[in-house]
Order: sequence, then C-alpha cells, then structure tokens
Amino acid sequence: MRLELAEFPVNEIILASENRYRSATLELNQDELLGGLHQDKRIENAKLAVVLPGECARITHIRDIVEPRIKVRGQGQVFPGILGSVTPVGEGRTHRLSGMAVVAAAEYEGTIRAGTAVQRSAILDMWGPGAEISHFSSLIQLVLILRLAKGLAEIDAHTAIQQAEYQLAFQLAKLTTGLKPSAVEVFELGEADPLLPSIVLIQGCLTHSGHPHSNLAYYGLPIRDSLATLVHPNELLDGAMTVDTTRGIGYYPTTWDWQNHPLVMGLYRSHRKQLNFVGMIVERIRFETHHGKEVIAQNTMRMAKALHAEGALVSWLGSGNAFVDVMLTVQACERAGIKTVLVTYEYGGKDGVDSPLLYYVPEANAVISTGSRDRWLELPPPDRAVGPNESIQILTYPGSPLIPAQSSLTLDAREMIIGGVDIWGRGYRTCVAY
Amino acid sequence: MISKELDRAGVPVAVISAMYPVAEQVGASRIVKGLRIPHPCGDPSLPPELDAKVRQEIVRTALKALEAEVRTTTTFVPNRSTTA
Repeated sequence: MRLELAEFPVNEIILASENRYRSATLELNQDELLGGLHQDKRIENAKLAVVLPGECARITHIRDIVEPRIKVRGQGQVFPGILGSVTPVGEGRTHRLSGMAVVAAAEYEGTIRAGTAVQRSAILDMWGPGAEISHFSSLIQLVLILRLAKGLAEIDAHTAIQQAEYQLAFQLAKLTTGLKPSAVEVFELGEADPLLPSIVLIQGCLTHSGHPHSNLAYYGLPIRDSLATLVHPNELLDGAMTVDTTRGIGYYPTTWDWQNHPLVMGLYRSHRKQLNFVGMIVERIRFETHHGKEVIAQNTMRMAKALHAEGALVSWLGSGNAFVDVMLTVQACERAGIKTVLVTYEYGGKDGVDSPLLYYVPEANAVISTGSRDRWLELPPPDRAVGPNESIQILTYPGSPLIPAQSSLTLDAREMIIGGVDIWGRGYRTCVAY
Repeated sequence: MISKELDRAGVPVAVISAMYPVAEQVGASRIVKGLRIPHPCGDPSLPPELDAKVRQEIVRTALKALEAEVRTTTTFVPNRSTTA
C-alpha cells in the first residue's frame, strides 16, 4: 500500500473575494466557504479569522485542529465514514496544505454538567510563554468561529462542529486540485532488509465506552471496549482516526496530531534505513478491572508477535488508570522477548515534587519522557482574543468562573492549552543532567 | 496515601481498590481487591441479587482485613466464586 503525500505550503492567508491557492498564498472568500454551514440549524453563527505565529493573540474555545487534505488519487476520500463512505484509505495520492491549520473554536454549553464527558475547550497563545509550549503556535491558524444553538446534546454538538471543521478544511485542500506540489513524500511499508529489526508501534488509546462519543473513532466508528486492532499507518494520514470535538484538552491529541503522528512519521523516516516498520496496533486502554488490563496487555503482545515484531515503540494518550494498561503491555512484550521503548509524559505536580508516573514495572527500562504536563504557567494578556465569546471558562467544574479572554492567566497545568502536553514526543527540547 | 497517614496515626485501615497493584506500589498496609475502578465494592453489570452477594463478600473481607495484624503490605482477596 503506497501513499504519496503531496505538500502545498501556505505562507499567507488572505480573506478576499475569491477562493484560490497560488504561490503559497491562500485567498479565501468567507461567504462562499461558510454558505453551506448556515443550512445546519445547529449552527447559529459562523465566521473566519486568521491568526499568525508570533502575533500577540490568544485563540479561545478550541475544540479541535485539522490539517486540510484531499485525496486526488486512490480509493475513498479523507475522513472516511465521516465526510463520505467507509472505503479503505491509505493508498494513492493525498494533497496537504502545510504550515497552516483550521481551528474549530466553538461556543457550546453542553448538557452534561460533571464527570469525564463534560464539554471542555482549550486555548492557544501565538506568542510568549504559551506559544513556547505548543507546537500549534508555529502554524498560521484559520479559526472557524462557531456559535452553536442552545440545548444541543453532546453528540449533536460534536457532529455539527466536526462536519463544519472537516468540510471547511476539505474545501481549502480542494483548491490545490490539478496544481503541482512543492514536495512529495512516499509512505510505504515492506521491502526492508531482513537484517534490520522489525518494529511495531503500539498506540494505547484511552476511550470512554459509556460516553456519547468514546473520544476516538476509526472510520467514524467510536472505539469502545475493543481488543487490539491492527491499523495501517497510512490510514492515519488519510484521516481514519478522529476525535470527540466537544472535548478540547491538552492531553488528548487533535485530528491534526493523528494526521501528523510524530511517532508514525519518525518510524516511516527510519524505515528501510535503521529498522523495518511493520505496522501499528491501536490498543484500547482504561479497562475498568485489573483483569481487563491484563487481558488487553497480553492480547496486544500476541498481535505484536504475529507481526514478527522484535521491538515495540509504546505510547499512549489520555490520563489516569489507563496508564496501568500501558505498563502491563510493556511488561507483557518484554516477557515475550519484544524489546520496548515507552514514550510518555510525566506528572510531577505543580511544583515538580510529586510522583512522575502513576504506576511502573521493572521491565520498563527504556522510557522517553516528553516532559511534564503539570507545572505552573504564567500567561501575559494578549492584544487580541479570537473566539466566539470574549469570556472564557478556563476551569471546567460546574459553575467555574467566567474570565475575560484578554486577561493574564495563572495555570497550574498545561492541559488548558491545545498542544500544551507533549503526548507523542513532538517537542524538540531535551534535558541533560550536570 | 491517605491510608498511610491513617496508619501513621495508629488507626487500622484497609483500602478496597480495583487498582490493587497501584496500592501495593504505594505501600498501603491492608489492601482488599475491589472489582471495577468506578465500582470497587461491587459490579452493577451483575443481576442485583448477585451484586448484593459480591458487595457483602468484599465488605466482609475488608472487615476481616481490619482485624488482621500485618507487618508489610498485605493483599486480601474476596471469594469471587459468586461472580462470572
């Protein structure tokens, strides 16, 4: 299965009278692009804003971020099961607009008031200390500002936001049809030197089986109490993995993160050189019993064995007890002779003195830390706030105070910032002990 | 962590937890194996009569644990013959 990813860089976005991509400039006609959205009764109001890297601006109410893509050759279309039919993707040619992203910033009240299904949104500072900790601050952001109708149920709000976001991104990518890309990268497994070590990517995924949306979907189907699933990494590049857009949280990946998964990219770029990338296992984690955690760990190890993996890069997404499932997977693989490297963030608390991990096993002897998700953070006030409302709710407990989006903020964790928690090691910082 | 503070204060304590390996790692003194993380003392997916039996067994095991003298971390296992 061979996928060509053709790159169309964007250096400038202008809101203009026509829709056109030319010499790295995206000209957009707002009325034309958003016309279709007004037919969706769930959306009261929609408009666009452009925010630049380095600008003293804060984007608020962020639910998701997506990179515009379109398939121009091969079966199916991007976001199968959501924008179109459930047709297998990952083959042919896909265009991408690089250097920019579409941010869905939506005001939505939600009907669930407490617990892990409550709606949440995140912010993004494009300058200063907030920008330093989120890779999203380096992209030109086209913000889709949405106001949703009152009283919408969670799943209705999710589909309204997601359809609006993906449809807009798709229309932008469509402007490159027939044009010549600046670069093409080829993604294909197989045909590696048999002497190279075979490496599998095990992607632990926290899903909430009882939520209206489980947090993660494959071809539009929310993953609930699933056992290990074999996924071709090319499917990610074509949008087979999608997220719950009512919950924008720093420790959950956005659609953009799935489209540009840094561990998938890293393994592909080392494929046939240092290693043989044999594929990807999506491992559902957060089983409610220890028994369940043991079963998923063994089951995932069995699938890695079936792929003849000699090594596994293990990572995860989420928070809390799901990490036990991840550690047991590391243990199961190591005991079965599969060497593992675990990629994880740490806790450590606001002051960095608490336990860094919830649970650990002696077999986890090669761990890459992507940094802490806690720690105090002071954000200065922006000159410009971009979002559906001038007030934001930065904490999410019921009745938490509304504060002006343009104020300075003191945060005790990084999950309020989209991209604020380095889930899969995208960050470029390292540390050295003296 | 709370259980360790209670121990230090001389109050006998038993932790019912479905995440018993984590409790063991933290070093709680008496650990009782619970069922589901959101429902440590029972299993709402069971029929009510069966769930009631499971609940009684878990709480009884916890009371026995409280009476037991322990020197190191000790895990108490409720009789699970009544569950699937």
